[in-house]
Amino acid sequence: MELRIAGTANDSIVDGPGIRFTIFTQGCPHNCKGCHNPQTHDFNGGEVVDTAELLAKAKENPLLDGVTFSGGEPFCQAEALAELGEQIKALGLNIITYTGYTFEHLYEHRAENGWGRLLGVTDYLIDGPFILEQKDWEIKFRGSSNQRYIDCKASMEQGRAVECEP
Amino acid sequence: MIIHIIKRDGRKVPFNIEKIANAIFKAAQSCGGTDFSVAMETAADVCRLYEDENPGKVPTVEEIQDLVEKTLIEKGHAKTAKAYILYRYERTRSREMKTNLMCVLNELTFSAAKDSDIKRENANIDGDTAMGTMLKYGSVSAKEYYGMYVLEPRHAKAHREGDIHIHDLDFYTLTTTCTQIDLKKLFTNGFSTGHGFLREPNDISSYSALACIAIQSNQNDQHGGQSVPTFDYAMADGVRKTYVSRYIANVGRALQLLAGKEDGNDIAKEIEKELLEKHSLAPVLANDNGYSEKEFEFLLAQTDEETAKKIQEFSRKNAEKETDRATYQAMEALIHNLNTMNSRAGAQTPFSSINYGTDTSPEGRMVIKNVLLAQEAGLGNGETPIFPIHIFKIKDGINYNPTDPNYDLFKLACRVSAKRLFPNFSFIDAPYNLQYYKEGNPDTEIAYMGCRTRVIGNNYDPSREIVTGRGNLSFTSINLPRIAIKSDHNVGLFFDKLDEMMDLAIEQLMHRFRIQCQKHVRNFPFLMGQGIWIDSDKLGPDDTIEEVLKHGTLSVGFIGLAETLKALIGAHHGESEEARELGLEIVGAMRKRLDEEAKRTGLNFSLLATPAEGLSGRFVRMDAKKYGIIEGVTDRDYYTNSFHVPVYYPISAFEKIKIEAPYHALTNAGHISYIELDGDPLENLTAFEKIVRCMKESGIGYGAINHPVDRDPCCGYTGIIGDVCPCCGRKEHSNDVAFDRIRRITGYLVGTLDRFNDGKRAEEHDRVKHNV
Repeated sequence: MELRIAGTANDSIVDGPGIRFTIFTQGCPHNCKGCHNPQTHDFNGGEVVDTAELLAKAKENPLLDGVTFSGGEPFCQAEALAELGEQIKALGLNIITYTGYTFEHLYEHRAENGWGRLLGVTDYLIDGPFILEQKDWEIKFRGSSNQRYIDCKASMEQGRAVECEP
Repeated sequence: MIIHIIKRDGRKVPFNIEKIANAIFKAAQSCGGTDFSVAMETAADVCRLYEDENPGKVPTVEEIQDLVEKTLIEKGHAKTAKAYILYRYERTRSREMKTNLMCVLNELTFSAAKDSDIKRENANIDGDTAMGTMLKYGSVSAKEYYGMYVLEPRHAKAHREGDIHIHDLDFYTLTTTCTQIDLKKLFTNGFSTGHGFLREPNDISSYSALACIAIQSNQNDQHGGQSVPTFDYAMADGVRKTYVSRYIANVGRALQLLAGKEDGNDIAKEIEKELLEKHSLAPVLANDNGYSEKEFEFLLAQTDEETAKKIQEFSRKNAEKETDRATYQAMEALIHNLNTMNSRAGAQTPFSSINYGTDTSPEGRMVIKNVLLAQEAGLGNGETPIFPIHIFKIKDGINYNPTDPNYDLFKLACRVSAKRLFPNFSFIDAPYNLQYYKEGNPDTEIAYMGCRTRVIGNNYDPSREIVTGRGNLSFTSINLPRIAIKSDHNVGLFFDKLDEMMDLAIEQLMHRFRIQCQKHVRNFPFLMGQGIWIDSDKLGPDDTIEEVLKHGTLSVGFIGLAETLKALIGAHHGESEEARELGLEIVGAMRKRLDEEAKRTGLNFSLLATPAEGLSGRFVRMDAKKYGIIEGVTDRDYYTNSFHVPVYYPISAFEKIKIEAPYHALTNAGHISYIELDGDPLENLTAFEKIVRCMKESGIGYGAINHPVDRDPCCGYTGIIGDVCPCCGRKEHSNDVAFDRIRRITGYLVGTLDRFNDGKRAEEHDRVKHNV
């Protein structure tokens, strides 16, 4: 399947625990003030790649603990990422997904846009927009203190956000 | 008539009388003269005079000038004569200034270090200070002298033209490179540093103080690094002694408090004495040697059973706590001392390294834990310590697996390294290291000198394949890319030329070795006089050191394998399988040649992956000038370090480790691989440990992980800082204070990028970090 991306990062240690392959999707509707990756906002920017290519790259690196979907807003391309995520999980790797939406919003609309399916393959969800006024450099893997590190599987089962420690 | 004149450089050129007249006129003008014809007349007189005295001979410039002086004085032009002499002197001086040495001394004197690459040749010397400059005066003068009078002309030429690099040339006739100091042996029965005798230490604080003194004293006898290969085992003795004295003191205290014995201290000491003399027992941290049981019997003579138990519990608990605290303070002091005593020619702290991690005794573990914690805490204001280099030894069954006794310390080592860049990690289980390992003998555990030097195999005395008391004697590096450029894509020709260059390097190492052998024990009052170097304790002050030096290594190094491969086949070993094979073939051939030489001579010839600080820029500058800019070869400001995949080339950590590991097996004089991480690994220790484990599983011998360590001196925040400090929000250079940025260079840490030389600055800038 096709996916519009801004780029990838191999051996990332800042997008979740362990060593990760990070895919930065292209296109984001949130426009958070002080965003770290403003070049990923344009829905027509970046490049279109085949998810098979990305899967191959993840396969090549035996040091990986998992793959991180970042962006951009991954939930704008939920179907493609969900399919890629299923293939990645089959390799024994875990999935972390960043989103500017809240878990509650995504859960409520889980029947639409393939959101439920992407939530289904996500092991940990880091949710919420970046709020410059709440910027916090002490919390792991997040930018502002409103953002949560969520155990996605438990949250889906219970229908509410279950936070955990990274 | 004079037709020719011989210039100072020996050339014969047409004689021009006007030049003589002009010089005289200038001198006359400076004291008010206006008549050129007088000057011309004097010049003509000089010519006549010369011809009369030396008919038919071609004069030299000096002879003519001597005659001018004489003529001026005789004709009564005293003032002009004086001005002329002064003018001559000035000219001579300015000529000398133009010669290499004087130019260099001039640059050292009047240029700031930031503008002068020679002043930054070594990143750990502050070239702006008086002692730093004095050190450089000596160094450049020695190099000039050796080049002209000591080196074989063909070696001097090869060095000057950049075919080879003779490292530490300024010390060519003086000393050897480095030593792995056996502190345990040194401390037993005490030692002397020249102005007095130091007794065997009795407390962990004196152990650490004397360790610094030993490193410092030995540094003054050598130009290279000083390392302690078995730091934990050596310091553990100090912990043991500290525990005994703290335990006895606490028993004394408890006897007073709990048993009401006013002379508690005396009783405690008596019990200790009795137990030691009659039963050879002393209290130990592990409390497993039967001391407690025996002591209990003695205590019963003083008090009841319950109180005796209480006394022992109290004493054990407090003695352990106090010993732990004392050990931490001792380690803290060691790190502070090694970063502050600028004892090497007043301009440098000793290049110190400590290896540890495998002592599983409670005392050894206490040393390891506390030296790591002290490193983690940093210096007085939380700065990252530059010295000593910490090297954590990893061994299966000791600290690698979760069930191993020192696994907790390995985890701690990862945490500290993720914050402070040290410790680095060495791997005893790599087959080429494991072959020397004998369980229970720490001297057979591989150790590394901070910069990467490795000395363990011993061709001269195979029964002494140990790390302690030995080191490198000297090393010389080959400019591999140049050989490749000259071979013009012809691989066969390359190997022929490489052979010739190896011969030259080996011959030069032998030339230096023969000079080193003529030295006497008295030339090295500490290194040899105090028996630091293996077997030197069997020599007298006037003996030569020839035989004992044979335990040391003579190493040939190389730089720029990546550029070599680029020049030969258009791809480096990061890029193609073909290049990987050829790379191993090249380095394998060098190793084979050195093994043969070792066999032939009985000396320890070995192959080094050169830590190329000054060299990284020097070779490429010369080659770019000589052969022009060649893409992927001479188009950067540096040649890539030894066998490394180029720092600018994007490659996963896993692939880099896999590609570089086989070279570790070949470079028996030392090697190191780096992984660059972007981001703060302290927030992700899982990732950090995983990379260390990958190094171990891949057969790396010595490795380290680089990551940015920045610090804001204003608020004290340590971590990654861009333009703005994430803690206090201060911009760089606001209130004129820059952020400290610690980076690694040839294995040593350097506190600020300002001290990097030009080649290294460019290299640091190009390093590809693993991750965004």
